[in-house]
Parts: sequence; C-alpha cells; structure tokens
Amino acid sequence: MKKGINRILMVSLVSLAICISPSAMAAETVRIGALFPFTGTLALLGNESFNGATIAADMVNDTGGLWGKKIEWVKGDGVDPKKAMTECERLISIEKLKLIFGTYSSSLSYAASEVAERNKVIYWEQGAIADPITARGFKYLFRICTKASRHGIIGADFANEVIAPKLRIDPKKMRVAIVFEDSLYGTTVGSNAANQALKLGMKVVATESYSHRTVDLSPVVMILKARNPDVIIATNYPEDGLLFWRQAKDLDLNVKAFIGTGACHSMPDWAKTFGDEGNYIFNSDDPSIGVNPKALSNKINAIRKEYQERFYKKFAHVPITNATMGFESARILFEEVLPRAGSLDPEAIRKAALSLDIPQGGTLFGFGLKFAPPEHPDAGQNVRSHSVMTQWQEQKLWVVHPANFAVRNLLLPMPTWEERRKGITRFVE
Amino acid sequence: MFITIAQLIINGLLLGGMYALISIGLTLIFGVLEIINFAHGEFLMLSMYGSYWLFQLYGVDPYLSLLIILPAFFLIGLAVQRVTIQPILNAPPLNQIFMTVGLSLVLQNVALFFWKADYRTVKTAYSAVTLKTSGLMISFPRLVAFFLAMGVIAGLLIFLKRTYTGKAIRALAQERRAAMLMGINVYRTYQIAFGIGIACVGAAGAMLIPVYYVFPTVGGLFVLIAFVVVVLGGYNSLTGALIGGLIIGVVEAFSGFFISPHLKEAIYFVIFILILLFRPTGLFGRA
Repeated sequence: MKKGINRILMVSLVSLAICISPSAMAAETVRIGALFPFTGTLALLGNESFNGATIAADMVNDTGGLWGKKIEWVKGDGVDPKKAMTECERLISIEKLKLIFGTYSSSLSYAASEVAERNKVIYWEQGAIADPITARGFKYLFRICTKASRHGIIGADFANEVIAPKLRIDPKKMRVAIVFEDSLYGTTVGSNAANQALKLGMKVVATESYSHRTVDLSPVVMILKARNPDVIIATNYPEDGLLFWRQAKDLDLNVKAFIGTGACHSMPDWAKTFGDEGNYIFNSDDPSIGVNPKALSNKINAIRKEYQERFYKKFAHVPITNATMGFESARILFEEVLPRAGSLDPEAIRKAALSLDIPQGGTLFGFGLKFAPPEHPDAGQNVRSHSVMTQWQEQKLWVVHPANFAVRNLLLPMPTWEERRKGITRFVE
Repeated sequence: MFITIAQLIINGLLLGGMYALISIGLTLIFGVLEIINFAHGEFLMLSMYGSYWLFQLYGVDPYLSLLIILPAFFLIGLAVQRVTIQPILNAPPLNQIFMTVGLSLVLQNVALFFWKADYRTVKTAYSAVTLKTSGLMISFPRLVAFFLAMGVIAGLLIFLKRTYTGKAIRALAQERRAAMLMGINVYRTYQIAFGIGIACVGAAGAMLIPVYYVFPTVGGLFVLIAFVVVVLGGYNSLTGALIGGLIIGVVEAFSGFFISPHLKEAIYFVIFILILLFRPTGLFGRA
C-alpha cells in the first residue's frame, strides 16, 4: 500500500516538474538567441548593439508580439571567438534555438556563424562588418549592414573625389597613410582602403598595423610623422583609437584630413574624451548614424522617431550607430521576415529573407534591402548597402557625403594642434 | 634622424619608467614569497579606478592621490596576502597559480559589475600639456609619472637597504630557513613584502590614469609586459626590474618605429624567450 502511494506521488511530482519546466514555458514565447560580447573588452559596443535590438522587440511585443507570442531573448556571452563558438553551440543544442541574432564583432561573428551554418540555424548578423563573413557561400547567414570594405573604400574615394579637389591637390600626388588594428575588422577595412587608394593612383606613403591591445602607439605616430601624409585613413577599436589621438597630440602629428572608419570614431566617447579637440575628423560609417530625413520614406521617419524616444526612455542616452544597427536589423527581422516566414523554421526564414525587395529610403539606413542569393559570391549580404561619410563638428557627428544623405557641409583642412590651441581655423569654401 | 632617435629614446624611457614601477612590485613578491602574482595587473586596474574616483568625486589630483593610494594599497596588499596567499604558501605551486589567477578573474569581474566596460580617464589641467625643447616633444604627465616612479623606486631601494624590515625582507628572499633562524617573523615579513609590492603597482596606477584609460581588463595588457621585465631583469633583483623596464620601453619604441608597430610586442616576447633559454636568471639575477 505504502509503496503504491509512494509511486503515485513520485509520478505526479515528476509530471508536475515537467509541466512547469522551461521547455514547456517556451511554447508561450518566440525564443531568439542573442549572441554578443556582453562582457570583456568589446562589451561596450556589444551591449549597445543589443540594446538597440531590444527596442525592436519591445515595439513588436507591445503590439501583440509575433504570431500572438512575445519575443524572448536567450543571451549568449561571446567574449572572444572561442567562447562565441561554444556559446553558439549551447544556444543551438541545449537551448534548442533556430535563430541566432548577433554579434557586433567580426572575429566573433565569423567564428560563431560557422557553428550556426553547420547546424542549419539562421544567423542574423546585425553589425559585424568584415567582408569574409559573407564570402563563404553560407545559406543561413544574413547581413543587412554595410561591409567593412565599403568603409575603407569610401575613405579612399572620399579623399580622391572630395578632399583632393577641395584642397586643390592633384589626387595623383595626394599622400595617404593607412593605419589599422590588426584583427579581422581592422585588417579588412585597412587593406581595402589601401587597395582602393592605390587603384585611384594616390600615393600610399604608409600602411601600419598594430595590436588593438597595445598600451603605446607612439611608434605608429612617429612613423606617420616621418612619412608626412596629407590624409590618414584609420581603423581603430575604441581603446586604441582614443590612445592614438592622444599620442598624436602629444607628439604633434598634423594632417590635412583624418578619416576614421567606424568603431572608435563613431562613439560618443570620442567627444566625451576630447571635446572640441575631436572636431573635424571624418568618419566613414553605416548610414544608421542619421541621414537626412528627406532621404527616408515617411513610414521610416516615423519609426525612427519612435525608436529614438523609446531608446532614450529605456537607456537614458541617445542611441549610437551600433545601437541603431541592432535596432533596424532586428526590426526588419521581426516585421518583414518572420511574419512572411510564418514560423521559426530556418528554411521558411531563408525563403522569406531572400524574397525581400525594399527600395532606397525604405530602411532606417537609407539604403534599400536585397539579399544576395546563395550562388552569389557575397551570399547573404545586402547588396544595396553602402557607407556614408560623416564629420565631427561641435562635438557631434553629421553626415556630410553623399549629397542626398548629407545633413551639413564638410570642413577642410583640419587645424593643426597649434591652431587648435589658439582657436584658429582656416577652412576653404 | 638624430631628432627622431632622441625622440624614440625619450618615448621609450618614459614608458619604461612605468613598466619598471609595475614590475618592481611583481619582482618583490616573486623574489620574497616565490609566488607568481597573476593578479598583479588587476591591482593596477583597481588603483587606476581608485585614482579616477578620487578625482571625479572629490577633485583630488591623481598625483596628490598618491598620498592616499600608497598607504591604502599597502593595507590592501596586507589583507589580500593574509586572506588568500598565506593559507596556500606551502601548497603545491599549481594551487598557488590557480589562486592568483582566480583572484585576477574575480577582481576583473567585480570591476566590470560595478563600473561597466566603459573607458575612463582623468582630464586635469596638465594632462594634455606637452613640453617642446629643440624639436623634441615630451608629454608632461608622462614626464611627471617617470620622475615619481623613479622616486618611489629609489625610496623602495633605500628602504630595503637601510631599515630593519627592509633587511628582513632581503634576508627572507635570500634564504628562508636561515632568516627564520635569525629570528625574523616570516609571516609578518611576507605580508609586508606583499603589501609593498601592491603599493608600488598602486602608485603606478595613480600615475597612469592621466595618460591612459582604465577599463576592467586593462591589467592584462600591463601584466604581460611586467612578466617580461621581471624575467629580463632577474626575478629576484629589484635593480634588474628597474633597468629591465627601461630597456623594454626603449626596445618597444625602437622596434615599433624601425621594424613595425605590428610586431613591437612580438619583439620583446622574443627577448623573453631568448632570456629564458640562454640566461634564465636574467640580467641581474642571482642563481
């Protein structure tokens, strides 16, 4: 008798446990993986990118969610490439996710997306820009934002088409120096900038790379001083970019134009750290920085407004580029792709993504959306993406090029450190 | 060319002075306690944060904060040694390594928890001042840091030579059992040595914050260099740590300029390996 009761008790306890276990709860939400560097050296922008995405989820959840269910993020902390791979593995095999959203850093994305592709799980890349990520013919990887090479290429193009004529320098005599941090991100952007500059016939007087973990960049500054460039195109992560500018000031490195390529030079920390001394540098970036509203459709302008209000309310600061990339990437996923797919089935998502055809002005980025099909060399990349050139003026970033996206006029040449001390500028018309 | 070389030497020495100060604490700890303090960089990070918050909240100039940081970090060193290191002094070396590595991870993540991953630095009236003489540029805060570092090191060397506690520390480093026979209180001396080592790296942090950034993992960057300096100088020689630090600073500046910035860290790691292979006791160490 006792044994029988014990047995019934056991069975009911176990079934109760199963009923209230997480996997049973999951039927109530749409579970999406969020693989970002939430801690570690890349955490600053990793978290910011994710923050933007959460706004998109909030907006969808507030209007009833996806298929009547709320979107639920399942976080994975990809501190470095190895950890990113193991976290991706965990999200797929243990958390049983079919869709991974991430990852901000190119080296993390490159490593983790490999795991996703192997398992036929969708990898929705929101902000890692290195070209090799979409050069592998992956069928389950999609990226909306601009490729890194574009940031580098637009740097060289800008020097050639805009800076040279404005400063009345013969482009073929323009001295260009390329500086970059040596991981996947920096190397991709930097080498593309160098190649484009050479293709355009400019004089590349230096191509220097360095480890972004270095504590001293004075050798790089010294080399640049010795080579005397007119323009520097730099690809830095935040810590090395800030250090470089500081040491450029310490050692009195002066150039006519300094072109950053995203990362460090698009962060609010730039103005926070340097104030007016950070003004007048250019930065090639993703258009999510804020293009002229005239370049966007009315619907997108309304969405942009709501996003900015919600973000400020939730996080108490103005969103930066990375956050907006996270937001728009997630919004397009939640509002355009997943409804069309009807479920989290990777094959259905693939089909839905490849069927999208959004014209210019139809995304927060300003450019349109069309994913390259699997046979294309850039499989999964949004072929309509491109960069814009921005400039720091009055401690804020403004889009200055191309003309239809521009919000302000550009200012050239950059004052020397001596001139900055004295408050002198001598911009050409 | 001459100006460039002179500039490189100056850059190298100013940087090397910081390396020396960070490494001398590590050498003292390793020479006396025979513990490799993998958490050394994290104490640097903590003192950088300490200096940062003293400036932000109370307006204390980083160099003045040394008056607070030096004693505070000495006490922190005493406490850490007593709580985490002393219990495992006789444990197998592997356990000791795990302890300091674990301490390093805990400190990094505590910092990340409280202060996030943002980069912070201190902007004082002089932190952007550069002195120009005959074509050479010398960053004023780096120059001050260099002289303060030399001052602290000189003070330490005098302390070790002239005072009773200093001699006790040196005796303990030379031969533990003989020191015990001489009546030296081993455990108390260990605590003091560890405290001094941490105070040194704490001082380095206060001097670094006007010229560099603090974030939870900044310690890792510097501690690797410190290990190279300790090995180069000789793991039980403090003058070795001083000279080694200056040498590494200058080597970094020159190899960065003449070979490639890409490889400047690689160059001193190559030196590290060569020293371990051909002169393991370092330039000034005793066998």
